[in-house]
Amino acid sequence: MNLASTSTLVNGRSVTIIGDGATTLLDFLRDSLGLRGTKEGCSEGECGACTVLVDGRPVDSCLYPALAAEGRIIETIEGMDEGSHLSSIQAALVATGGIQCGFCTPGFVMTLTALLQKQPNPNRNEIVSALAGNLCRCTGYSQIVEAAVSLSELEEES
Amino acid sequence: MPLSHREISPIETKVNGRQNVLEKRGKQVEFRRSGDLEEALTSLAELGDKAQVLAGGTDVMIQLERGEIFPETLVHIERVEGMRDIAENGRLTLGALATHIDLAQSPVLCDRYKSVAHAASLIGGWQTQAVGTIGGNVCNASPAADLLPPLLVHGTNVLLVSKDRGEREVSLADFVVGRRTIAREPDELVTGFSLDLSDGRTADVYKKVGRRGAMEVAIVGLAIRLSVDQAGTINDARIAVCSVAPVPFRAQAAEQALLGTKANGKETGSAAALLLEQVEPIDDVRATANYRRMVLPRIFESAVADCYLLAAKDLS
Repeated sequence: MNLASTSTLVNGRSVTIIGDGATTLLDFLRDSLGLRGTKEGCSEGECGACTVLVDGRPVDSCLYPALAAEGRIIETIEGMDEGSHLSSIQAALVATGGIQCGFCTPGFVMTLTALLQKQPNPNRNEIVSALAGNLCRCTGYSQIVEAAVSLSELEEES
Repeated sequence: MPLSHREISPIETKVNGRQNVLEKRGKQVEFRRSGDLEEALTSLAELGDKAQVLAGGTDVMIQLERGEIFPETLVHIERVEGMRDIAENGRLTLGALATHIDLAQSPVLCDRYKSVAHAASLIGGWQTQAVGTIGGNVCNASPAADLLPPLLVHGTNVLLVSKDRGEREVSLADFVVGRRTIAREPDELVTGFSLDLSDGRTADVYKKVGRRGAMEVAIVGLAIRLSVDQAGTINDARIAVCSVAPVPFRAQAAEQALLGTKANGKETGSAAALLLEQVEPIDDVRATANYRRMVLPRIFESAVADCYLLAAKDLS
């Protein structure tokens, strides 16, 4: 047996990861922890549906080895709400209609959360560029970008 | 209904994640952490080609999942200290663990190695750039590897080290020997890359053609580095391309054609013709060979024009 175990923080809780080298962080989150908010889309780093934050950086959890998360801080969509309230980016996505089927939404929320932590007032280009690794087949992206723009205090150039 | 996330009751959890894949693979893959270079080299000396080096995982984990590689052990080097630095010491050294974001945001690269920074910024999305490394991009040796053309035009040497034989330096052109094939010995680790200095009237550009502006594997990628003398005459020209042959390569005949010129249209056109003679593009899901032949001279000419303007910007 080549199983190894290590510990990490997922949404502020200490958890033990047990797996082999090929166990992805996505498998661990969904199947071992039951955190099914993180979605599996393409399984090869194209779609961003599985995006979680690893030490604040957006990472495709389908490509990140679970055991590489040792001692790191993992944040998933389940940790995004603020008590009984949606996070600001979640609320903005609701307000602008940036959600249709919802499958890509957790990934978008995670990437935008990372962007706003790094750059609280991003311009439109920074938003679009940050979202390059997240695919949405429903909205056409406009409403998702609008959600992030609505949180930025930058004056929009018309 | 409260929105608080669900309770995670059992702290100890069982592995059922990739059970179906584990069954298909028949056995599990060991994950071996390397706290420092010594540990990584000891693991590689012990395991040889049973080991697969793993840094960010953006290529390795896909290949593992697809059953394209069958390592017994993943030697995890992501946390090896001192292999992520970008430093100038006669030449420019890039640590093998520098991520694509490190490269894209490095002030020295953005200033004088623009082709490297720009190519790194075009590799996948933020998720890939956050963890993917230069060492991984080079060692994966894809015919479409974005970093290979810019590294080739900067005369890059690959820095390797092994437990038993110590350090070794090999030119990148000799290191990438075929499609997805490199000249790394099984017990060696790539620790970094050493680039020619780029200063004075020297500039570099990377151009990439894809079907869309982001998240693309290159249909054609081209890097160029030009130096000019006081009169604005090109006295050093370096051109490298990817996605037009099994291995990215330097196009020496086209380079020669630009020497001694001021990159006017006719001379650039002749160089483009020589470049076309050296490529062996194929039809694939992204584009036809014919399209690649059509587009290559166009991006070459625009790259030469842009690069020449940058190299000669202090003259006029």
